[in-house]
Formats: sequence, C-alpha cells, structure tokens
Amino acid sequence: MRTTAPTLTKPAPSVSPTPEQAGAVRGEEVVRLQGIRKSFGTNEVLHGVDLTVHQGEHVVIFGPSGSGKSTLLRTINLLEEPSEGSVQVLGVEYGPVVPRKQRGNPVELRRRVGMVFQQFNLFPHLTALHNVSLALRAAKGMRRAEAEERAAQSLRQVGLLRFAARYPGELSGGQQQRVAIARALSLDPRVMLFDEPTSALDAELVGEVLAVMREVAESGMTMVIVTHELGFAREIGDFNVFMDEGVIAESGPRGFFDNCTNPRTRQFMAAVL
Amino acid sequence: MLASYDWGLIWTHRGEFLDGLATALEVSAVAIVISVFVGLLLALARMSRPPLSWAAAVYINVFRGVPALVSVIWVYFGWSLLLGINFSVFQAGVIALVLLYGAFISEIYRAALEAIPRGQREAGLAVGMQPIRVFVQVVLPQATKIAIPNIGSMFIGMVKDTSTFTVIGLLEVVRVTQNLNSTTFQPFVLYTAAAGLYVVVAFALDFLFRAIERTLATPPSGSLARAAHRRRQQRVDAVVKRVEAISGAR
Repeated sequence: MRTTAPTLTKPAPSVSPTPEQAGAVRGEEVVRLQGIRKSFGTNEVLHGVDLTVHQGEHVVIFGPSGSGKSTLLRTINLLEEPSEGSVQVLGVEYGPVVPRKQRGNPVELRRRVGMVFQQFNLFPHLTALHNVSLALRAAKGMRRAEAEERAAQSLRQVGLLRFAARYPGELSGGQQQRVAIARALSLDPRVMLFDEPTSALDAELVGEVLAVMREVAESGMTMVIVTHELGFAREIGDFNVFMDEGVIAESGPRGFFDNCTNPRTRQFMAAVL
Repeated sequence: MLASYDWGLIWTHRGEFLDGLATALEVSAVAIVISVFVGLLLALARMSRPPLSWAAAVYINVFRGVPALVSVIWVYFGWSLLLGINFSVFQAGVIALVLLYGAFISEIYRAALEAIPRGQREAGLAVGMQPIRVFVQVVLPQATKIAIPNIGSMFIGMVKDTSTFTVIGLLEVVRVTQNLNSTTFQPFVLYTAAAGLYVVVAFALDFLFRAIERTLATPPSGSLARAAHRRRQQRVDAVVKRVEAISGAR
C-alpha cells in the first residue's frame, strides 16, 4: 500500500499528472470532484467542493448532520446530479460542465463504482443470493448460472454463504448490510462508496460490518466512507475530510484526528469522541 | 293472486344460470387482465410530467365517475353511431370495463408505486442497472405485491358491473334472470338466485387473490407457492454447495 499522503485539490491543478507520474507518486486518480455545487430548490447544500481520490486510498468524510457529506458522496455515482462542477471518474467527465451528449453515461459510471447505503436497500423480494446475482446479470450481462455462482462467492467473502437462500427480512441488520457489501463488491468496482454504513445498526451489530469493511480495505480497494464511527475513521482513513455547512472545513492525511487545527473540527470531535 | 315461491325453478334452470355466470366471468377475466396493464400505464402517465400527467388525471377522474351502464352504452351504441365501429356485445362489455377499471387500477398502482422506498430505485441504479430494468425487476414486483389485494376487490366489482350489460343484450346473469322471469313470473326466487351467484363469485375471488398474495409473500407461504419456493431453495443450495466445494478445495 502507498505511504505518500494524498492531497485535497483546493484550486485544482490545471495540468493533470501523466499516468506514469501519477502511478509513481500517488496512484491513479479514480475520482476527481471540482467545484461541486448542489441545490435542492433554492437551498444550496454544497457550496463548491473539491476532492480527489486516488487508487487504493481510503478517504473518510465526517461532519455534523446536514453538512452535505452524504450528498457529496452521492454526486460521485450521480445519484445526485451536481448543479455545477465537474465529476470525473476514471478520467471520464460526468458533471454538468460539458454539454449533455459529451458526458459519460451514468449507467457505465455506476458499473465501476460500488455503493453501500445507510438503510442497506436490499431488494426484499429476492433472496440474498439473487440480490447479488441480479446485479451481476444486469451490470455484467452474466448468464444466470454464472451470476449465481459468482454471487455465492461474494457471499462467502462476507461470511454469509450459508444464508444465501434467506430473504432480507429473515436477516439481521448487520447481515443485510454485509449482503449489500457483497452485492457491490461482486461487480469488481474500482471504488466503493459507503454512506454511513453502520448508522442504522444496533450497536452490537456494528462490529461485524466494520470487520468486513476492514477486510475490503486491506484488499486494496479504493474507498470513500461517510461515517460517524470516528474510531474506525482514525484507523482506516488515509485521507480525512471534515465537512461543515456544505464545504470542506478541514482535511488532512493520517494523523489528522490529532493534528486538526480548525476550531469547528476540534469542537465536533470533542463532542463525538 | 297469491303467488307461491317455486324454488325448484333455480335447479330446473341451473344450466342457463351457469351459462350466464360463465359469460360474466369471461368478460371480467379478460377485462381485469387488460385493465391491469392499462392501469399501470395510466399510473405512470399520472406520475410523469405535465401535460401528460394532466391528461391522465382528467381521464382518471372522468372514468372513475362514469357508471358502467353509461360506459357500455357509449361503447356499444355511441361508437357505432359516431365512429361506425361495431363491436360484439362481448367486446363492448370488455372495453366498457377496461375504460372504467383502468382508471381505478391506475390509482391503486400509483399508491403502490409511491409506497416503494426511494432507496430501492437508488440501489438498483447504483449497481449499474438500466433505469427501465430497475423499474421492471425491482420496483414493479414490489408494487404489484402491494396492489394485488385491491386489484382483487376490483375484479369482484367488475363481475357485479357486468349485470348492467343486460342493456346491450349480453347473456350474463341478470339477462338470463330477466328472460326466465318473463316466462315464469317468479322475480323474488330468480333474483335471489342471481344474487347468490354473485356472492359465491365474491367468495371465490377473495380466496383466489389471498392465494396469490401468499404466493407473492417473501418467503412465500401457502400451498400454491410451496413447490416453486422449494425449487428455488434447492437451486440456491446447489450453487452454495458447488462454491463451498470449490473454496474447500483451495
């Protein structure tokens, strides 16, 4: 794993590094957000945010409720269309900065970006196995038998193979979230987005989900994690972002939790930790 | 004249009654299937942008207000006069029902579709499914499950509404009853028999739709679903065993 600290591009550099340079220094850029603004009606919730995520990096985003962290995460796979700004994933532009027909296809984008939701969002009418295999058939065009076998392997990865025939309603919250992680992982995404993956769980179920996420991180997966679990964030975060009122108030590499200087950040951490 | 009730008439004319019932059920069965499709399309139109949503809203409110009797007279006599289209009484009955019940079922579907959490659609999109596929494979099955009991009620209502199709001469239960009455003069006996038939149909359809509901439940329960469910479980188990064998060998 890389040791160099990733950087937050505040005013973005005008020239992006060549692949060789990038590979040598900090890994390929997987996600690059520039000047992201998002309004719901007249209410602007993101006021111009820049964030770059490199290959293999684990970016942690935290901050108070309503600070825009989930919205920011959701712009990466275009579940929220930014009102302004550039969304680049693996070098393809998806944001509204260019005319619509020159933008990448959101469906293609999402096939390379996995997402895990706070409320799991498993399909309740399908078994655990078919939750995963439906995604594989739809996104990868796999045939049924192949998709089911690959889905079973994914469930095994999260330790739930023996629950393959269960419906989501027959699983605990922690198990459901692990199935959701398996569903996203099975597509071999280049980056995984986690939107408060443990916030809806009973305290005793948080550990099993964090354990699976830790394994995903150790496998070298690029991850962007919105979380309130600051202990986990401190452990896993290669790059840490504190958001407040629609902007990045402060960010920094490992050690951020001890070195942050912004009074708002310190105030938040004091309240949470 | 002191009339005596001749209940034996019902048994004597059981063949006519049952033919009338069969006709009523055939018209309704064809109409409910088409109405579900029409209702779904209307619901989607109603949930889309103006002006399409306005057009759908107007249609729905008009046809929820029109009685079946008027609807079938429009279709059978009106369209024939205005447009020169001549339907058979069977076709006219089906169309009249679809016009009305498409409107009712669209509101049932709209409520069901709106009851599906936004996260379901988002999860489908997030795994790279095309939006249309998300609708067909994720949202629609869940919404249909919610809509089924109400669609069952609509079916029962439809069978009753076929009674008005006596005006176009469809040989359904009421028409049969009227014909028998004109020769036997036993209205109380004959119409009580007719009512009894409608009630039996209501019970039978209620039973049928409960069975469908149980079949669609997760996990499915009820005898209808058990076989299909068992097959699915076996299939999953087979996949699990295969993968366990592979990973065990590694």
